[in-house]
Amino acid sequence: MTRRRSVPLTIAMLAALAYFLLPLFWLAIASTKSTQDLFTSFGLWFSKAPQLFANIADTLTHGDGIFGHWLLNTVLYAVVSALGAALLAATAGYGFAKFRFRGHGAGFNLVLGAVMVPATALAIPTYLLFSQVGLVNTPWAVILPSLVNPFGLYLMRIYAEDAVPDSVIEAARIDGAGEAGIFFRIALRMLAPGLVTVVLFTLVATWNNYFLPLIMLNDQSLYPVTVGLASWAAQAQNGGAGSSGEMLPLVLTGSLLSIIPLVVAFLVLQRYWQSGLATGAVKQ
Amino acid sequence: MSTVKHRSAGPWFVAPFLILFALLFVTPLGYAAYLSFFQHKLIGGTVFVGLDNYAKAVTDPQFLRGVLRVATFFVVQVPVMLLLALLFALALDSGLMWLAKVVRLGVFVPYAVPSVVATLMWGYLYGQDYGPFAQLSRFLGLPVPKFLTDSWMLGSLANVVTWEFVGYNMIILYAALRTIPGELYEAAEVDGAGAWRTAWSIKLPALRPALLLTLLFSVIGSFQLFNEPKLLQTIAPNVIDSSYTANLYAYSLAFTGQQVNYAATVSFLLGAVIVVVSYTILITANRRRQP
Amino acid sequence: MPELVPQHALSRRSFLAAAGAVSLGAALAACTGSGGSAAPAAERVSQADIDKAMATPTELVFWSWAPEIEQEVALFTAKYPAIKVKVQNAGQGTPQYTKLRTALQAGTGAPDLAQVEFQYLPTFTVLDSLLDLRPYGADALKSKFVDWTWGQVSGAGGEIFAIPQDTGPMGLLYRQDIFDAHGITVPKTWDEFAAAARKLHAAAPDVYLTNLAANQAAAWHGLLWQAGEKPYTLSGKSDITVAVDSPGARKLAGYWGGLAKEGVIGTETDFTDSWYASLNNGKYATWITAAWGPAFLSGSAKATAGKWRAAPLPQWDPAKPSSGNWGGSTTAVLKSTKNPIAAALFAQFLNTDPATTKMFTTKQFFFPATKALLADPSFTGDAPAFYGGQKVNEVFSAVSDTVSPSFQWPPFLDQAVTDWTETVGKSLADKTDTAAALGQWQTRITTFAKNQGFTVQGG
Repeated sequence: MTRRRSVPLTIAMLAALAYFLLPLFWLAIASTKSTQDLFTSFGLWFSKAPQLFANIADTLTHGDGIFGHWLLNTVLYAVVSALGAALLAATAGYGFAKFRFRGHGAGFNLVLGAVMVPATALAIPTYLLFSQVGLVNTPWAVILPSLVNPFGLYLMRIYAEDAVPDSVIEAARIDGAGEAGIFFRIALRMLAPGLVTVVLFTLVATWNNYFLPLIMLNDQSLYPVTVGLASWAAQAQNGGAGSSGEMLPLVLTGSLLSIIPLVVAFLVLQRYWQSGLATGAVKQ
Repeated sequence: MSTVKHRSAGPWFVAPFLILFALLFVTPLGYAAYLSFFQHKLIGGTVFVGLDNYAKAVTDPQFLRGVLRVATFFVVQVPVMLLLALLFALALDSGLMWLAKVVRLGVFVPYAVPSVVATLMWGYLYGQDYGPFAQLSRFLGLPVPKFLTDSWMLGSLANVVTWEFVGYNMIILYAALRTIPGELYEAAEVDGAGAWRTAWSIKLPALRPALLLTLLFSVIGSFQLFNEPKLLQTIAPNVIDSSYTANLYAYSLAFTGQQVNYAATVSFLLGAVIVVVSYTILITANRRRQP
Repeated sequence: MPELVPQHALSRRSFLAAAGAVSLGAALAACTGSGGSAAPAAERVSQADIDKAMATPTELVFWSWAPEIEQEVALFTAKYPAIKVKVQNAGQGTPQYTKLRTALQAGTGAPDLAQVEFQYLPTFTVLDSLLDLRPYGADALKSKFVDWTWGQVSGAGGEIFAIPQDTGPMGLLYRQDIFDAHGITVPKTWDEFAAAARKLHAAAPDVYLTNLAANQAAAWHGLLWQAGEKPYTLSGKSDITVAVDSPGARKLAGYWGGLAKEGVIGTETDFTDSWYASLNNGKYATWITAAWGPAFLSGSAKATAGKWRAAPLPQWDPAKPSSGNWGGSTTAVLKSTKNPIAAALFAQFLNTDPATTKMFTTKQFFFPATKALLADPSFTGDAPAFYGGQKVNEVFSAVSDTVSPSFQWPPFLDQAVTDWTETVGKSLADKTDTAAALGQWQTRITTFAKNQGFTVQGG
């Protein structure tokens, strides 16, 4: 497919791109400013005394380097949740796609129906249940709920129906392979592109999760970066003793730093995803 | 022989997911459902009230106003967002543009930005005194846009949500486009179809399921709208009140008003609205497909 | 809440608390076990029991959002090495209270102690979750604290539910340079203040005398407090009088609503980027704030260093100067604690020890609640350059003496605040009838209180 490239289309898309990047441009500029410059200089351009590295150093060293701690927590919660959720969704999606059993339809519909009820209804009951089993204020309180991804299940079922041909499964059965063996050795590889998609989306969702960890965690050393940054921002966004606008540069720089790993992860994952999709398309 | 295996292995595959689902979704959900039949008072404790909470909610003007607002949001914002996502996906897939990878990443990046940060950024851009749009308007002698006022707010929210989720929907649609078999394109090329023709007669029909999926996601996203109004509330607290959206109302009831029971009721009713809208869309889509 | 499961937990928890108390003697067991405010005058815990508890290895969990409060906590643990205090920042203000309520409801996960702002104390005492500190010697501390703070922490039956930590008596910070440029003298009365607002805005259309943030219910309550209003009066456990639209409140609403309508003051949301920029860029010539304001401003509006000064609030009746309070916190012990003695002693030490209280003023820039510090020359003599060398603490120390001790808060503060923002606050922002909005506020609070089972007397 070698086609002539279109200049107007490219220009139109770059204009659209500017819209999507404008807020981030502001954030990047703001990360280079001191408290004073933040409030006195024009937002969309550098001030006279940019101090990005000083801000980064402040962010990383404030409160005995707690920010690095938060970032690591986020990585831990997000990666464990994303891998776990993808594996669970792939296994179950394959099960729903390739097997028929009692409660098949009801089970699947229940999972999808549950998404319709807003999570606000679940927050307090989940807290009460978790506190009964001692999970509150532990990493599991954040990770466990993220492991169940109904959208992931939906995607993996659709994906498995197309990507894993029945003939391949039948052939493996005739060769005497066990069901678990077929899944882990043959099907899982075919599901890889879908799996990466679920990993990516769960990763983003957990990375940006705010409400759940806010409710579940009390220990600052367990906070993910979203809750941590919000606790810094609260010092600038509420009045009262101990509050100060001086935290804002740290909040902004911290926000910028917290987005970067996700963008990098997306770039890296995208390559797998791309090749996976290509093979998926050819195979059929 | 293989059919027996066939039946017995299935539950093992779905069990881990369903067990966790039962523990982490169904149990709290059941508990919330149970709560919705009670009423709790700071003075006087808890009493069973049967369906009273539901009867109260269906005539509660705050709840109804919140549902109406998110319905409006759905009708206005979702078509815009999905149309943009579709256009971007088609443009990227067409192979007609330079820098496609950069654009794809750039459009998707907002999805990776936590809504806490997104609101921080838009809050600045919307600023009445020091925001760049306000300053530009003043410089040009135009009326200053009032992003954070009653009449503009829904649009301002729609903009933030569009900004955040166009990329997400674009990626889903783009992924679907990439699975269209190459032979179809070759056939089209043999027929002498141009880029627009190919998009219209091959790509769009192939995108049907993916579009339906993004539409259903958007139903849930719109009707459960919470994060963005909750966060913009900090800069426009007099415009976004505690019942601005139905979900925000449920949240305020539970956390501000300490009316956990009524909050559960409101959540379930909102869930029912979402089920009805989703099924209506599904049935409509399937009926159109048949003839 | 019909919590089947949590109720078990609650009973288990109170069982444990009672079991723990047995070793401390029957008197104490009766006190913590029944725990109700119905108990007659609380009996003192004996010194022997205190000594024993303070020598027993114990871990206390303390929720606080005060930055780096670990420094002060370390002074306590240096004195009582057997007691470990784990400080957790569970969120600033509202998020922490939400969490605390949920944890209390669950019966597990609540800390031993928590930072609680003055205005939130009744919200927790109505849930019967705070420990009366009298048996641990708190009643002997009364004379150490500024009178009005003691009124705030005292219950209807004489209970002492918390120890004051810091305060926020209200005053006025103003821009000397802007005042000078427009020939404005520091207003002594609210009438003078209104006249100055009109004069300034007429002379400089981009400048406003002040900003009364339409989201800041705390400031409104402080102004009600200054005006001698008693918007909420709780008598007994379930009787409440709501008088947020009393004649006095209407006068206040007419005053501020009028200025907002005229457009001579701002009403923008405070503590936002835009508001910070406004303060830095000289959009507002004054900030009606509290005693924590000076330290806050010097870090947040550096571009204006040297231009600000402090003064008491303008008065309704200059013959009887008065002020209200905005902000400030206490340390409260949760009734669910297993270590009431250690927790109570920690709360008392933290807020009365000369070294910790002094450190609060120099590290966290807290405005003190103790009489000793308010009279301490090393505190009042501070003359920051940001205020042109003015002794700002001295100004606010004098204001602290004029705060009325009888102001009360409702037992459902979150709701009262939300309702204020959506009625009175909205009217200020939209420049509509603020006095009429008071009526809506009154109705909303009354309806809520009735639905929650209170007997409500309208004001």
